[in-house]
Amino acid sequence: MRQEGSAVRIGARSRIKSPWLFHLNTGSCNGCDIEIVASLAPRYDAERLGCVLVGSPRHADVILVTGPVTRQMLPRVIRVYEQLPEPKSLVAVGTCAASGAPFIGSGVIEGPLDGIIPVDAYVLGCPPRPEAIVRGIVTAVRRRFS
Amino acid sequence: MAALAALLASLPAAVFLSLLFEGIDRKLHARMQGRIGPPVTQPFYDFAKLLNKESVFPSSSSKAIFASAPVIAAASSILAGAIPLASLVAGTSVVGDLILILYLLTMSSIMVMIGGSSSGNPYGAIGFSRKMVMLIGYEVPLLASILPLSLKSQHSFSYHGIVQSQVGMGTCFAFAYPSSAFAAAAFLACIPAAAGVVPFDVPEAKTEIVHGYLVEYGGPHLALARLAKDAASFALSFLALTLFFYHPPLFEGHASLGGLASAILCVAFAPAMMFLTVTVPRTVFARLKVGQAFKFCWSLPLTLSALSVVLSAAGF
Ligand code: SF4
Repeated sequence: MRQEGSAVRIGARSRIKSPWLFHLNTGSCNGCDIEIVASLAPRYDAERLGCVLVGSPRHADVILVTGPVTRQMLPRVIRVYEQLPEPKSLVAVGTCAASGAPFIGSGVIEGPLDGIIPVDAYVLGCPPRPEAIVRGIVTAVRRRFS
Repeated sequence: MAALAALLASLPAAVFLSLLFEGIDRKLHARMQGRIGPPVTQPFYDFAKLLNKESVFPSSSSKAIFASAPVIAAASSILAGAIPLASLVAGTSVVGDLILILYLLTMSSIMVMIGGSSSGNPYGAIGFSRKMVMLIGYEVPLLASILPLSLKSQHSFSYHGIVQSQVGMGTCFAFAYPSSAFAAAAFLACIPAAAGVVPFDVPEAKTEIVHGYLVEYGGPHLALARLAKDAASFALSFLALTLFFYHPPLFEGHASLGGLASAILCVAFAPAMMFLTVTVPRTVFARLKVGQAFKFCWSLPLTLSALSVVLSAAGF
């Protein structure tokens, strides 16, 4: 193990403890988006892990992308990703974002997402269960921020 | 010298308490919604995380104002929280410091507004105009509700003088006179608007105007802007407790222990004030429109504070 200063440790720990989420819909059917909201609602309560859904990419640490990235959304996905201040992490939520299925091969789809921007965690399912989304966030945050 | 030392010691205490109070508020808010909620230490993690993030300056912003506004905002609202703490601990009274505290709170709102409008983002400009409306809405009743207290304590505008006059009366202002009871109600009704929490968070409505004046802030500047807001709600709940509910038998019981004991007791009871005026409204009510919020401020709190001023001028 590398010996780290306490300031670095505090920084890493606080990043893991407080992942603020920005949600980006890139042509999703809205199924995944509803499940993201469900993972923040009382039953699954992602806020107990420090997750807060924020409205501006400038505030966010983790970006949740749903949908298969349509041609219209391609420049916007890249732009929003670049608007997040470093360090940042990305979760592909739903089978659409993870692999493009069932739209793969369509002429209006630019996905899957990992061919465009780096993805830290994939959450499969159509739509995925809220607990899977929470797990995806935790995985991405651990992988990128610790 | 002792007063200065107390003030210097109160500054970190005010920062710590502001973040702690936000944690308590978020925990209670979550419990009332049937959630587990974040740990009470969550705001400390948020603050440390934001300090460690990259800060981005939009190319359309005027950088000097954009960068300095949150610093001034945080400094003034932390000072507004630290001055009452320090003057309780040190027992010093400075002429007119109550006016200074209230204007520091206004200063912090104005600075975040200016920072938002200098970001060059249209949502920042909308946040600016909405915050301006809210300021006009709650400042008048908030300031007017202080007047009866001053009249009842030998025309003093010193914070410590007003707190001490409650000791002299043997009861707190909220129960002492009809005029000061109305003033207490007006002050409490203004706190949600002054702290900018949910029914009155029109200037930074996340789902309407993407955080309003905070939209372009990220990293350390966002940390300071949020700290400014937390410190303002800490200062307001602490002021409400000590100006209106400083019941001497409760808070002044151990005179031998000096000001520190009563300051600690006040800090211990201030979360109750914050629960009543920040947590409950933001859990129970949904966001108002800017017109409705303004109308509320100029109907209930303004009527109450006008009534209290008239009553106190008539000697009640
Ligand atoms: S994965 Fe399924 S639910 Fe999610 S956006 Fe695609 S089609 Fe909709």
